[in-house]
Amino acid sequence: MSSDLSRSANSSGGQRSKRSFNNNNNSTSSNRSNNSNDSNKKKKISQKTLGVAWGANSLSSSRSSSFRKSPFSDFGSYMVEKNRKLQNQFDVEASTSSHCGLGSGKPIFHGVSIFVDGFTVPSNQELRGYMLKHGGRLENYFSRRRVTHIICSNLPDCKIKNLRSFSGGLPVVKPTWILDSVAANKLLSWVPYQLDQLANNQPKLSDFFALKSSPQSQDASPCAPVCQRNPEAEESPFKCGTSIDAYLSDVGESVEHSGLISGESDNLINKNSNASLVEEPASSCGKPSEVTMATPSNFDVEDESSVRNELQSSHYQPSALVSSNFMYNHNMKGSPSSTVGGPSNQRHSTLEDPNFVENYFKNSRLHFIGTWRNRYRKRFPSFSNGFKCTSSSIKASAPKTAVIHVDMDCFFVSVVIRNHPELQDKPVAVCHSDNPKGTAEISSANYPARDYGVRAGMFVRDAKALCSHLVIFPYNFEAYEEVADQFYNILHKHCNKVQAVSCDEAFLDVTDTEGDPQLLASTIRKEILESTGCTASAGIAENMLMARLATRTAKPDGQFCIPPEGVDDYLSQLPIKALPGIGHVLEEKLKKQNVWTCGQLRMIYKDSLQKDFGTKTGEMLWNYSRGVDSRLVGMIQETKSIGAEVNWGVRFKDVKDCQNFLSNLCKEVSLRLQGCGVKGRTFTLKIKKRRKDAVEPVKYMGFGDCENLSHSTTVPVATDDVEVLQRITKQLFGSFHLDVKEIRGVGLQVSRLESADNCKQGLERNSLKSWLISASASTEEACSKYWTAKERFNIGQGDGVSGQLCANSVSLSIEMDNNMSDSEACVNQVSELPPLCHLDMGVLESLPPELFSELNEIYGGKLVDLIAKNKGKSESVRSSLSTHSHPQVEGAMNEGQAVFQSDPVLHNEIPVQNKHIYEEVQAVCVSGEESYSVVIPASGLVKTDLMPSSLSQVDGAVLQQLPEELKADILELLPAHRRQDVSSNVLSEVPLESLGIKTTENHSGSKDSISDNDLWAGTPPQWVDKFKVSNFLILNILAEMYYESGSTGNLSPILQRAISVPKHQLDASREGWDEATHILRELLKQYIKLKIEFDIEEIYVCFCLLKRFAMKSELFLHVYTDVFPYLQASFGENYGGNLHISLKD
Amino acid sequence: MERRDNQSPQGETARILVEFLEVAISSIVFLKGVYPAGAFERRRYMNVVVQRARHPQLKDYIHSAVSALLPFIQKGLVERVAVIFFNIDCIPVERFVFKLTVNQCYGLKLEEADLEFSLRSFLIKLSVSESLTRVLPHDCRWEITAYFRSLPEASTSKDAELWIPTDTRQWQQPPLLTPIKSMSSEPLCVQLYLEHPNSSEPKP
Repeated sequence: MSSDLSRSANSSGGQRSKRSFNNNNNSTSSNRSNNSNDSNKKKKISQKTLGVAWGANSLSSSRSSSFRKSPFSDFGSYMVEKNRKLQNQFDVEASTSSHCGLGSGKPIFHGVSIFVDGFTVPSNQELRGYMLKHGGRLENYFSRRRVTHIICSNLPDCKIKNLRSFSGGLPVVKPTWILDSVAANKLLSWVPYQLDQLANNQPKLSDFFALKSSPQSQDASPCAPVCQRNPEAEESPFKCGTSIDAYLSDVGESVEHSGLISGESDNLINKNSNASLVEEPASSCGKPSEVTMATPSNFDVEDESSVRNELQSSHYQPSALVSSNFMYNHNMKGSPSSTVGGPSNQRHSTLEDPNFVENYFKNSRLHFIGTWRNRYRKRFPSFSNGFKCTSSSIKASAPKTAVIHVDMDCFFVSVVIRNHPELQDKPVAVCHSDNPKGTAEISSANYPARDYGVRAGMFVRDAKALCSHLVIFPYNFEAYEEVADQFYNILHKHCNKVQAVSCDEAFLDVTDTEGDPQLLASTIRKEILESTGCTASAGIAENMLMARLATRTAKPDGQFCIPPEGVDDYLSQLPIKALPGIGHVLEEKLKKQNVWTCGQLRMIYKDSLQKDFGTKTGEMLWNYSRGVDSRLVGMIQETKSIGAEVNWGVRFKDVKDCQNFLSNLCKEVSLRLQGCGVKGRTFTLKIKKRRKDAVEPVKYMGFGDCENLSHSTTVPVATDDVEVLQRITKQLFGSFHLDVKEIRGVGLQVSRLESADNCKQGLERNSLKSWLISASASTEEACSKYWTAKERFNIGQGDGVSGQLCANSVSLSIEMDNNMSDSEACVNQVSELPPLCHLDMGVLESLPPELFSELNEIYGGKLVDLIAKNKGKSESVRSSLSTHSHPQVEGAMNEGQAVFQSDPVLHNEIPVQNKHIYEEVQAVCVSGEESYSVVIPASGLVKTDLMPSSLSQVDGAVLQQLPEELKADILELLPAHRRQDVSSNVLSEVPLESLGIKTTENHSGSKDSISDNDLWAGTPPQWVDKFKVSNFLILNILAEMYYESGSTGNLSPILQRAISVPKHQLDASREGWDEATHILRELLKQYIKLKIEFDIEEIYVCFCLLKRFAMKSELFLHVYTDVFPYLQASFGENYGGNLHISLKD
Repeated sequence: MERRDNQSPQGETARILVEFLEVAISSIVFLKGVYPAGAFERRRYMNVVVQRARHPQLKDYIHSAVSALLPFIQKGLVERVAVIFFNIDCIPVERFVFKLTVNQCYGLKLEEADLEFSLRSFLIKLSVSESLTRVLPHDCRWEITAYFRSLPEASTSKDAELWIPTDTRQWQQPPLLTPIKSMSSEPLCVQLYLEHPNSSEPKP
């Protein structure tokens, strides 16, 4: 048996020892590892060991058989034994090292047991040394029981994914923690040393960017050897295994020892799978290897010591060799891998990636195009500025113009593949990711690819489905820049009037250039092809529009000329979509009018176009459909706004995260502003907020179904300062009141730009201007505030009425919904919409129609239903209340106004609903607001348990105001022993006059004499009854409205409701005209008297409404003109002025 | 603002009222756009967004003027507080008048939340009532004026000395009133209205 094994070790090891020193042999070794892996799987399927390292040691079948004969019955017992031995070694070493006084440090790591995972600086060996010296432990194998900290510098992706199960919640700390702790000579908190990757392991694409920029990022170079890539990671344990194996066989080890080694590597793997890093043994050979990667160096150490201890022979030298060799291997493979790209581990902390914004834009094509113009202007400053004036003068002198439009053919692709002639005829597309399953969008596709139907904007996976052999390249922004510069050099060489449209597209005005424009165009195209290796197309016509359309025909790699006489023919069949300026929306609109081609568009009159699409667009359509374009080449449009928007990869964990992002966005915007040399005053923050029911977007990390929100603000002084921007943005962001987790996109736009130079010069003028603007800004703000205020107002009132009985807003209301539970709800409202049930009907119903419809929209139309329901309810309540057979309490008391309702008219009606009617007697309790309800079931049964439990809750004053029968009823309902209290309490409390002066006055009046002079006395006020029995329709209506408006005792809600009464009802009958005017006049006069001192707002509102009535109705006009002098007199008396009734109302 | 536990209800009411006036006056000044918007900052008061003066002098003027009213309000002497905007000739163009009625006999504990609710509606209404106001001429000036029921006897408080008797130029015709907001709750009634010169007012 022993000979058997040693032979095999020898035979295989001989070759492999060489290989292990020679890292060119990767392919063979990996092949072999795969082979052995396969065979191993077949044989050892029952054991859940993973093949890689195991396979490395079990090349021959004899190995496995010999292994079966090893002294250990199974791996478990073997591992137990091994761990015990390792611990013993460690202990021995620890005691010797501390006794020798080598570095006998304080036992600062007492109780700390680390497990080193992966490559670390300092190495695992050094760390072990530190642990030895300072009383800590180092576990060679991960165990949740023993290990307290996991040390690693870097974790590969898949490990991160599995981290929760892997680490078992143990801290994963960088090795600097140990170094710093040693330096500080005390155990430091590990928290700051936590591995960045773990701090936030929420998936986010910032790491994607980070990796792309790895050449620039600072820690790329030191980390290069750390990079653990799957392919070579797969090999390294094998390597390691073989090398150790080789070394052992060279030395000529005993059977037992090599068995130990092989078992060791097996168990290593076993252990790994225990640590649940491996989910799918067959497919994930990369995964276990990452742990084994960590262990080999470890392994060497252990091996070294075990060899020393057990065999009493020093093999230090070879083992060191092996390990260094391993390192070397690793280095060699690791460093190229980081440059190749792909999923390297070189990632920043995900959520906190400080460069997210920067990287985002570094990788954005749109950004490249967008900012390209700046570069162009800087590069060709003389050209872009100088010729504008000359062009106009020439235009005047030369009657026939010639414009060439030059456009590179599929620029983004052709630039990338210009050095790949073999790909010229293959379908190629450019996209930032070539993951075939990915949802990255194709940004540009060449013509062969377009033949397959591949279009820009497609997801890669769809494109791949259309054309499986589509080659996808990443962007190469440097090349784009280079080619664009060459392109413009050529253009500027041939023509001095160049208008750059984009990096690959330009207009040339060749009116005053000698020679045939067609010839010139072909020269230019030829030169472009020669110098850049990319083709361009050209269109020649007499204006920019036609030149551009001509290019459309010319493409690809051609040129086309539309002579002036050919314009009409060309256009007549041209689909409208081809015209610049016609997008989806406009196209749809036109198609609805049955306009498909420019020829059809020409049939429509200019006026009707302007009517339908607006003056400018209409004119544009009219002109363009006739090939008329008055733009001059060289007219560079002023930049109107500058901004930056990120709508991809935006996922925030918390507010801090978001603020960080915003401040980076501000930095970017500020840089752009500075790049353009402008400053802006209006700042608009746009937010894409995930819709409530939106699912994860199809596009990975895309924004999906979002609501677009935006807020803007204007500052008096234009700025491009980062800090100001950040402050403004923060404020703007605050005004959204959003959950940051819902944000899917953020954009900041700066408009009202001023040139930075102007800003400096015209400070004085500016300040004046800022004056004027500030007013308009405040209006804007006020407007936006208005809505929030309105909303809040509703909320506030809803709550206030139900819970807080607040003073003047709605003084009386019957609350049908028992919102009692809300009474405790604090008034602190956020700007979220309150649930429907919290809304106060009274408030809702008296809202102006516009406001109501808006709110209704917000609630998705539920308000209407609610109102309808509520109406039904209140009617039923009213009718049931009015049945005389039962004692009635309808008291909704607020602010000392008591309402008692006993409705003789409705007394015959049967209760519609047989359910209990809740009435809330809401009383202002002076001691503390408490609402309670008296429940009087329609059947007349009384639920005494809902009565106020103690008299302190009953406002004596309110009780006192109640009519005698009612008072008696309530007293009866109270348990007998409380009765005495009540009466005494009432007596003592009433004189305090805790009720409002006006009500007191009023009520005393009403008690003394009830006459026409006290129309407003009592609850309901006397006029209600009077009006009800009147035979004048409008009076009946008003009385009706009194109840419908919630019986608040205020006139304005009643009038507000009555305003919708049809005109014919207002003046319907002439009978009793005098009587009606008289009583209305009285009503109003008394109302003025009542309110003049304390509530002119109410009077104002009433008279504004009355004025509206007066416009419709003669009766009200009469009343209004009669009462108005009285009103003004009262105002004069009380306020020394006249009420100004605005004409707007 | 610090709160003393054993304060009388009147004191408490007055304190709230003064605090409210400070905010409301700031809001009015902001609303009128006398100063650039940059001179104000958004703040939250009683859970509404309000504008607070940022310029130290402006802030100080409003604060000191109003807080010096506190003793008089406590005594119930103050009838009206007006924010008056003058044109260059010192003729009032627009007056925002707060008419105050504090029930002195109100002996019971004050429900601050009630009061806040009512006062808040002022601030809300105020922020949307720009359309009621008139555009101010350039070079305008403004001041806070208080109308007392009776002239206070020589006061002992140092604060109160900030208030000096004045005779503001008045309009010759009764002004036009536009109510903005009224509240009447116990123990405080406040009404805010605008005063504009009558159209028949002789032009200077």
